[in-house]
Amino acid sequence: MINKGSKVLLEVKNLRAEVAGVEILKGVDLTVRAGEVHAIMGINGSGKSTFSKVLTGHPDYTVTGGSAMFEGKDLFSLAPEERARAGMFLAFQYPVEIPGVSNSALLRLAYNTLQTERGLEELDPLEFDDLIQEKIKVVEMDPSFLGRSVNEGFSGGEKKRNEILQMAVLEPKLAILDETDSGLDIDALRIVAKGVNTLLTSDNAVVMVTHYQRLLNYIVPDYVHVMDAGRIVRTGGKELALELEARGYDWLRAAA
Amino acid sequence: MSTALQNLVNQPYKHGFVTDIETEAVAKGLNEDVIRMISKKKEEPEWLLEFRLNAYRHWLTMEEPEWANVSYPKIDFQEIIYFAQPKPKKKLASMDEVDPELRRTFEKLGVPLHEQKLMTGVAVDVIFDSVSVTTTYKAKLAEIGIIFCSFSEAVHDHPELVKQYLGSVVPSGDNFYAALNSAVFTDGSFCFIPKGTKCPMDLSTYFRINTEGSGQFERTLIIAEEGSSVCYLEGCTAPQFDTNQLHAAVVELVALDNADIKYSTVQNWYAGDENGKGGIYNFVTKRGLCKGVNSKISWTQVETGSAITWKYPSCVLLGDNSTGEFYSVALTNHMQQADTGTKMIHVGKNTRSKIISKGISAGRSSNSYRGLVKVGSRATGARNYSQCDSMLLGDRCAASTFPTIDVQNTTATIEHEASTSKIGEDQMFFFAQRGIGSEEAISMIINGFCKDVFVHLPMEFAVEATKLLGLKLEGSVG
Amino acid sequence: MLTKEQCYEQLLLGKTVKSESWLSPIRDKAGTRAQALNFPTAKQDDWRFTDLSPLFQHGFHPVDSYASVTLADIASLLIPGSIRLVFVDGCYASQLSDLEQAGAGVTVASLVEHSGDAQVEANFAQHALFDQDTFAALNTRFFEDGAFVHVTGETATPIHILNIATKRDTSSAIYPRCLVVMAANGRATVIEDYAGLNDGINFSNAVTEVVLNDDAQLQHVRVQREDKSAFHIGHCSVDAARGSVYTSTALAFGARVSRHDLHVTLRGEGAKVTLNGLALIGGRQIADTHTRIDHATPRCISHQLHKCIADGSAHAIFSGKIMVREGASGTDSAQSSRNLLLSGKAHIDTQPQLEIFNDDVSCKHGATIGQIDADALFFLKSRGLTEERARNLLTHAFAAEIIDMIPVPSLVESLGRTILERMNGNSAGGVSK
Repeated sequence: MINKGSKVLLEVKNLRAEVAGVEILKGVDLTVRAGEVHAIMGINGSGKSTFSKVLTGHPDYTVTGGSAMFEGKDLFSLAPEERARAGMFLAFQYPVEIPGVSNSALLRLAYNTLQTERGLEELDPLEFDDLIQEKIKVVEMDPSFLGRSVNEGFSGGEKKRNEILQMAVLEPKLAILDETDSGLDIDALRIVAKGVNTLLTSDNAVVMVTHYQRLLNYIVPDYVHVMDAGRIVRTGGKELALELEARGYDWLRAAA
Repeated sequence: MSTALQNLVNQPYKHGFVTDIETEAVAKGLNEDVIRMISKKKEEPEWLLEFRLNAYRHWLTMEEPEWANVSYPKIDFQEIIYFAQPKPKKKLASMDEVDPELRRTFEKLGVPLHEQKLMTGVAVDVIFDSVSVTTTYKAKLAEIGIIFCSFSEAVHDHPELVKQYLGSVVPSGDNFYAALNSAVFTDGSFCFIPKGTKCPMDLSTYFRINTEGSGQFERTLIIAEEGSSVCYLEGCTAPQFDTNQLHAAVVELVALDNADIKYSTVQNWYAGDENGKGGIYNFVTKRGLCKGVNSKISWTQVETGSAITWKYPSCVLLGDNSTGEFYSVALTNHMQQADTGTKMIHVGKNTRSKIISKGISAGRSSNSYRGLVKVGSRATGARNYSQCDSMLLGDRCAASTFPTIDVQNTTATIEHEASTSKIGEDQMFFFAQRGIGSEEAISMIINGFCKDVFVHLPMEFAVEATKLLGLKLEGSVG
Repeated sequence: MLTKEQCYEQLLLGKTVKSESWLSPIRDKAGTRAQALNFPTAKQDDWRFTDLSPLFQHGFHPVDSYASVTLADIASLLIPGSIRLVFVDGCYASQLSDLEQAGAGVTVASLVEHSGDAQVEANFAQHALFDQDTFAALNTRFFEDGAFVHVTGETATPIHILNIATKRDTSSAIYPRCLVVMAANGRATVIEDYAGLNDGINFSNAVTEVVLNDDAQLQHVRVQREDKSAFHIGHCSVDAARGSVYTSTALAFGARVSRHDLHVTLRGEGAKVTLNGLALIGGRQIADTHTRIDHATPRCISHQLHKCIADGSAHAIFSGKIMVREGASGTDSAQSSRNLLLSGKAHIDTQPQLEIFNDDVSCKHGATIGQIDADALFFLKSRGLTEERARNLLTHAFAAEIIDMIPVPSLVESLGRTILERMNGNSAGGVSK
């Protein structure tokens, strides 16, 4: 939902970044306001996943130029956990497994860390259980997943739903979904999309990084950006995604 | 990540203070006269003196073991004080008569000696240097026939039981340190759970070495008669001294038909400083005998302290259908060395054993699992499952796994698995992205790594163990 | 019957073999070490499971004359189409050897005849160190001849090194020796084969050294099928340089008491080693395999699968150590020990060991000891097989997993037959009763 008057959450200017000495991002500009849904599309290797990792502070990537402000704060002066506490959330493309650490323990620790950050009371295990039982419905997960180790033995679809469950609990201001649709069957895709749509309000925003248009049938973007060779080369409305689906990426690359 | 790790694993030793209390100690050194004196001071019967002297004479013929994956300067056994006790040694009528200084010591350690303040439902025997200072809930337990007292008291009040079982599981000449202990042991805990009795509360012994230069040689004997069960906890601390101190305990467990003994240890002896100066040499012999059919002995240990740990809590599965279990977490840091594991000796039919060992090495420490699973030719249908996982924090530590499997029966099924891992960068980033700082993330990962062991600890110990590993998160244990 | 000391004294009375000027001092030094050392005892951790006492009862004499062996005598042991080097009681038998297939880039010859070769001088006794090893010291002091394989090119023809022990009036001490040097990018398959004729009570004390230079690849097969009264102690040291690939398949079927020590040092980055092993024994046999894989450099890979099958009142031992040194980051190692006990009197000890001094590694090991799967047995019996046939079939399948890894089809086939014979022998009362 576009509301030109709403608050700017993220403002990225001329962002450059490299990994292992190779420049991947070559000057990215992006502004995300509260209430908006953005999609960043592009072929493999265009830099779209790198963009999401650089914004959230993955240690493998080095920022070499440009700026990124999150609600007026310089993102790059914040540690990854500080960015998370400020309200940035990354749904991982490849969710990691943490043997022996239960889903509910992780969620409660993350939630209580945020509560403390916001000057609110921490929840004890019982109170937290009430909260989580509500949240888990959003992603139609079986409560037994809460007691299991984080992502251990989960199917691809279950891992992605688990990411959205974490998003539901942490209620971020800006959620970046990195290829959340990859490896999902149609039912899982529908559940994930429903979860994201449920969580969308006029105060938060979502950036979807995706290769395909099909996720956008379920989560309708306000803006579609096409990334190529480390830059955003075209920005349009949701119809741009359909055009990409029909014509491929090559015509845009040639134009750029 | 490495700074957070260092902060976490380098927390100062909190129990390193010395209690200023008048102590009576015999001169250092060991000979038959010292043993006679210990025995006399404790007003022991002749047979016990004989037991000690036999052990001593055998010990003189033995060689100090060198096979473990540990190295340390040779111990001068004549430089050790073999007996030290807080003065005055008179019979205490109640807890309130315990020396106030001593009481404060234990309160500081989190072991209050007043029964009202005790951990609910846990009876405690407290061993200070060589002797037992007090045992709580004794009278209450006596009402249902459970004997829980210091070893010295047991020698006086229940000599027939002590005589019957002492050395029956760990013979006095079993190994070098067991022989030494048998010669000079000074006190310890004694438990007897009569037929058909489920011990209504956890029994606990708290060990504290206080006097510099003294060795601690305690002896624990637990007997669970037919159909009984007991849960026993053991905790240990010591002050910080620059010299190394020797702790050579012997623990014997006997489980008769259908009896069940669960023995848990949280060992946090002083580990020496970061350069390896000082610390306890923890050379302990622990063995349980599943004597009766369907009996069960379960060892759970969390080993975080000591300069050197050398212990292999073992089970001899004699009774048919008996079960032995070993759950261990060993954390080493700085210059610590741990060589620990278990022996499961399958003798009876359809005996089962399970081994879960988790080793965490940091700093320049060395952490070894050493185990033996032996299936005798009569042990038809024996089964064992072992899992030994190591986690290395940093690139200057070492982790080793030395399992030995020795099978002489075709119907046995033995499985052993081991793996080595580290904390992955991607795991750390995941935690950070969920707003969780690196210190807590590491705690959580380590806690998760140890979970299979922690679930076997009684609640109070699980909490203590979690804290000990620097883990702040409640609720993920148990 | 001799005592242990007398047995050792007798071994020290071995024959002095005249050598090249560079080799003589090495032999002398080995002799001095042999004098200073003695048989290992059960107190030494590496020997605590191995009962050598049956060996001590015999006096083993030096081989002082050539035995007469014909090609017909060894026909069943031959591998058709191979390059063949035959040794009888440790002496090179040129009339039994067939080096015709050795083309360009492949040298297969008597070690003594090639002792002037720079590769021999540069590598001999540099890898199998005798300073603390009694048996390596004795071998280095007394070996008569050995095999020298030098591969600079690539050969698809297997190289068969056949060591035959014969029966003599007195028991012999035999010292097979083998040196394999793979030049950079060299590729070959070498089969080291130890067999006996006519049930002699001999003691074969073999030492093999294998050197792989950068990116070389060697398939190394070792077959120990000595006579049932023989004693066999073999040591093999392997040195693997950068990018090299070493694959070993070692089988132990024979001997009253046998021991195989295999030490692999991954000295160059990215080297890869695969060790497959099988001990299949019965009667009163003892077969002991000790392996050590030393990850000394980064990003090396090691995989190991060892199987023991023990019948009768046999005793099989496996001890496998994986060491990861401080700088060896990116190490990937997996070790598995699988064991099958076929008789109530048989006995298996297994000791897989990890020693790790680096946090950036992926290491795992596993061990199982079990019996023949009851469900599989029932299934086969329900299809009409007798208990014995069903058991043999399943045992054979268990063993075949290793044998099938040998890259020489004719050898796979003949060894498969050997196993079946052995098993039938075992169920009829054991190999060496």
